[in-house]
Amino acid sequence: MADFRLEAETRTEFGKGSARRTRRAGRIPAVLYGHGQDVVHLSLPAREFAAALRNGGTNVLLTVVLDGKEQLALTKAVQRDPLTRVHEHVDLLIVRRGEKVTVDVPVTVTGDVAPETITNFELNTVSIEVPATSIPETIEVDVEGRAAGEGISAADLQLPEGASLLTDPEAQVIGFLAAPTAEALEAELAEAEAAAGIERDESDEDGDVVPEPSDQGSGESMDAAENSSDD
Amino acid sequence: MLIPRRVKHRKQHRPDRTGRAKGGTAINFGEYAIQALEPAYVTNRQIESARIAMTRHIKRGGKVWISIYPDRPLTKKPAETRMGSGKGSPEWWVANVKPGRIMFELSGVDEPIAREAMRRAIHKLPMKCRFITREGEV
Repeated sequence: MADFRLEAETRTEFGKGSARRTRRAGRIPAVLYGHGQDVVHLSLPAREFAAALRNGGTNVLLTVVLDGKEQLALTKAVQRDPLTRVHEHVDLLIVRRGEKVTVDVPVTVTGDVAPETITNFELNTVSIEVPATSIPETIEVDVEGRAAGEGISAADLQLPEGASLLTDPEAQVIGFLAAPTAEALEAELAEAEAAAGIERDESDEDGDVVPEPSDQGSGESMDAAENSSDD
Repeated sequence: MLIPRRVKHRKQHRPDRTGRAKGGTAINFGEYAIQALEPAYVTNRQIESARIAMTRHIKRGGKVWISIYPDRPLTKKPAETRMGSGKGSPEWWVANVKPGRIMFELSGVDEPIAREAMRRAIHKLPMKCRFITREGEV
């Protein structure tokens, strides 16, 4: 696992004004806690932190350097602006080398499923207990040749050395669904288009043009609520 | 099309269009999503039109989730009517979407296909939107 070192600075002033000044200076307000220690308020360099998450995943092990002292930490919670995608605040959890930690690890698939099959994730992450220094970035599942009706439960996952599963072993992680037949899909879409008043150009083979509904606001959509109570 | 089965009041005030989405801003089900960047009223017809555009492009692979619901009625007075005489009759069902809101999610297809399918769906929607992925949300 790559080592992600972040030079932290202690924060002495608090509140939204101070937090905004910190962000404008290219740093992220953060807190560091764990192992019964007092909470430390600090700030992290925004670019380096974003790069660490991008390259190491959500469960990246960080080396936080504060006043010359090094501290291993995991991200416990990351607040991110959904529009600007800027990291706004980070909770860091102190961990020690060799200590076991509980983390949610994303599940990814490799290989191609059988034809006419759709891979459906029931769980995107599984919870595992693993030494802090050997947290896997993802858990890979081989779905080569899997057909509709089959499933992969949490117990079927190949966990890394030293890891134990905390998610219910019988919980289904991935299900395999049968793709709808071409006729069924076409019938369903034609029905939906008719209901929405969409006129489709038949000459367009690949479905490129799906015109806007021609009759906006005809009032027919209110039929369902016609009989509802008004008081 | 998405329509509430019954409502408590047939005619409502127009929903507040200020502010940003305070929930529904993360991808929960699929791998890819359409995120709103502007506030807008999205009608049930636009939602259906976007879903059909997406489903037609991904053909038989993949699964689509719709994470908004048009539960607010908008009314309209008939044309050439003098003011007064009460509120107009309900005409549209809309979802009040605010910036940051995830509207559609998609999974089970490769990223280029998902990107193109969602690009087509975005053309059916009344506001600026963007394509996002679960990986990019880290």
